[in-house]
Amino acid sequence: MTKRNAGWRLLCAVALLLSCTAARAGEITVYTALEEDDARVYLASFAKAKPDIKVNLLRLSTGDLVARILAEKANPRHDVVWGTALTQLNDPRLLEMAEPYRPAGIDSVKSAFKDPANRWFATTGYFAGFCVNTEELRKRNLPMPTSWQDLLNPVYKGQIVMPNAASSGTGYLQIVSLLQMKGEEKGWQFLKDLDRNMAQYIKSGSRPCKMAATGEYAIGLSFAFSGVKQIMEGYPIKLVIPSEGAGYEIEVSMLMKSSRNKADAKQFLDWLLTLDAAKLYGERSEMSSVPGAKPTEAVLKAGLPADVSTVLFKQMDFEASAKNKDRIVAEWKQKIER
Amino acid sequence: MTATVPARPSPAPARGFDTDRLAVWGLAAAVVVPLLLFVALPLFAILRTSFITPEGDIGLANYAREFASPKFSRIVANSFAVSLTTTAITVVMAYLFAYALKRTAMPFKRTCGAIALLPLYAPSLVQALGILFLFGRNGIVNRTFDLDIDIYGFWGIVIADVLYSFPHAFLILSAALAVGDARLYESARMLGAGSARIFRTITLPSTRFGILSAIFVVFTIVITDFGNPMVIGADYTVLATEIYNQVSGQGRMELGAVIGVVLLVPAAIAVIVERMIMRGNQASITDGSQPLSIGRNARRDRVALAYAAVVCLAIASIVAIVFVASFVTLWPYNMHLSFRHYRFEVQNGIAPLWTSVVVSLMAAVVGVVATVSAACVSRWLKPLHAQALYFMSVLPAAVPGMVLGLGYILVFNDPANPLEFLYGTLAILAICNVYHYHAQGYLIASTSVGQVSRVFDETSTCLGAGMLRTLRSVILPIVAPSIASIAVFYFVRSMVTLSAVIFLVTPATQLAAVSVLLLDDSGNQNQAAAFSVCIMLIVAAALGLFHGLAGLRARRRAQRPAG
Repeated sequence: MTKRNAGWRLLCAVALLLSCTAARAGEITVYTALEEDDARVYLASFAKAKPDIKVNLLRLSTGDLVARILAEKANPRHDVVWGTALTQLNDPRLLEMAEPYRPAGIDSVKSAFKDPANRWFATTGYFAGFCVNTEELRKRNLPMPTSWQDLLNPVYKGQIVMPNAASSGTGYLQIVSLLQMKGEEKGWQFLKDLDRNMAQYIKSGSRPCKMAATGEYAIGLSFAFSGVKQIMEGYPIKLVIPSEGAGYEIEVSMLMKSSRNKADAKQFLDWLLTLDAAKLYGERSEMSSVPGAKPTEAVLKAGLPADVSTVLFKQMDFEASAKNKDRIVAEWKQKIER
Repeated sequence: MTATVPARPSPAPARGFDTDRLAVWGLAAAVVVPLLLFVALPLFAILRTSFITPEGDIGLANYAREFASPKFSRIVANSFAVSLTTTAITVVMAYLFAYALKRTAMPFKRTCGAIALLPLYAPSLVQALGILFLFGRNGIVNRTFDLDIDIYGFWGIVIADVLYSFPHAFLILSAALAVGDARLYESARMLGAGSARIFRTITLPSTRFGILSAIFVVFTIVITDFGNPMVIGADYTVLATEIYNQVSGQGRMELGAVIGVVLLVPAAIAVIVERMIMRGNQASITDGSQPLSIGRNARRDRVALAYAAVVCLAIASIVAIVFVASFVTLWPYNMHLSFRHYRFEVQNGIAPLWTSVVVSLMAAVVGVVATVSAACVSRWLKPLHAQALYFMSVLPAAVPGMVLGLGYILVFNDPANPLEFLYGTLAILAICNVYHYHAQGYLIASTSVGQVSRVFDETSTCLGAGMLRTLRSVILPIVAPSIASIAVFYFVRSMVTLSAVIFLVTPATQLAAVSVLLLDDSGNQNQAAAFSVCIMLIVAAALGLFHGLAGLRARRRAQRPAG
């Protein structure tokens, strides 16, 4: 008899598990392109502020995330898009999925960082940076590059990795800033020349930097803060911000019309503009739109400029880089991707 | 556990007959309907999607577009190049290894056999991860010997997949080499044939079915594996990674479906041919055969041991390096040990590990019920029906995991489907694993059920027991040990599989093997290694528990007086 009871208990347990479904009150699903470790730190702080809201997180590379949202458009699974490149979200097909919302504290955010129609607002941003492994340079007797132009030097052949522009927001940012800087014709030629030195195109924007950190490759083209992180970890990395000016991007968040739990989703968006969050932005990002976000000592020591506006490529045209995205990515896939 | 059937007041025979028929049909429906729903329907959905363009036209347009692109033909060529090369290397290596273990008197056979199975107990990409720690551009080998080996791409995938598919080939080939007819070998020797000639004219031909079967199994595993190419392939794209990028990355279902069908064809051909071969493989050993007895031969045994040791070293060093790397502080610049990589900075931290355990337990329970029921139903059905059921039960072996997973999204992420509520639950992950590995579970179950003599059925019926009672009191106790091995099989596979579930996980139902992939993808190799170690430890614990219990049971049996 006891055996039979055990069997029944097992069966009931299975039935119980089978009945577990995804969407519940007090629970929101958030899609993000932020770095995994950053998102975790932010969410841990959010959990302290709002312990009743459980956040299910899906992290994908920017291009993949946007494609996924479009693919799921008929039956969206998420309540919030968080920290994803504006260039990629600024697409009518995606904007129409957003519900206008003015989070608490939005008034103190500068106008360049929020949508006049309230569909999105930015909390952080990133700009291009090279992670250079100083030990590898020494071992291989290579000069320290300081600009995009330097990277064309044939001595770097097979020593450079960069993100794939189709899947990575950083990758797209890098190529679109070069195209805007040099004009399309010269820009594409530059990318083709650069391709000769390129060892691999990587799906994620931070991984090239991590590969440079472990010495798999001497130079990883990435965004500035991923270099800062590897330096703070203790890797022999120097962060180089290209002297031509670094292309940049802002990371925005939006509420979904389709959300089944808007009340909690709004609380999450509100939290993104609190002082608690702003402090973390100072520790974990290279630029922030939220007042109170100050880069920490450690971050500055790792090579981030105190005033980022001095290193940016200021003529960045977000409107154009959003509008031309599909065409440029298609062209990149055809001309450059292997 | 003795199978006694207590006498009971004899029921009217006609009624007993009726309930039996009802029971069989009820059980048959309970077996067939899920097979249709969870195998046939997703496959149909893949086929249908591949013929419908995003604009809604029906036809071959998706195929035409893919095949017209030079990139696609390059990817197909890459896939075949990798799969054929790997298959050739693996089968030769595994044959020699199995030969050393089965046909020589070398020592340490059990140890070598156990080490060779290690790759079965880890997610596929662990092989590639380990190879990168060893042979990456800044891996141990290049650093120590100041070399410049570049392992990314074709050869990286080949080496990783050789290691990954090795145990499968080894198991098949060692079964083939375990049996042989000593009379043949004796006659050959008396006629003066040398060992090389004996090997060529007797050993090879008598194991040809095993060799062919190993070739097809390895080919299928390699062409559908996507973990290793993801990690070590760099810009060398194969079909399996392309389907992942197109679907999971870009959300292009129709292209994913086309590639899925393309992937389905060689895998299906391989499995069908393999089944046909296995059916033809019967007559080589007859009741007159003499079992082989292997004498000592010092030189041969030394060579065999040396070879086996090299292979074991290669396999074990991958596991070992992954284990070590998971504890290294700052690979490769600070080799001090620490636990820092075990603070997982990945979606939901360590939670996916427990989710995986739950899903694997569910898959084990449901898998046992599904496959044993299917095996029992086949026993009671008319031969024609039983054959149809057999076909459906082993069909999943021909379906690559990715294709099945993709089919599941198409079917179950459709708001119009009444079963849509399953999407995003742990249940769908467990179900997917149950049917992904249905063929293997079913074959174990039906072999075991087939061993129960039909006399029991008749005796039991004569004593007035219905079929269900026969099942409960006679068949199930006898097949209990194989039920346990099916459960363990399902548990282990579900812990390490990646290919099907990668499409079905959601943020709330993240699995451990997927976490390993994501960690690697974002460049956290050492955390990926740490997560793999956790998976391997849980699998090892499950296997240890299983063997411990089996040993206990055997000992208790031995102590009990026979009867």
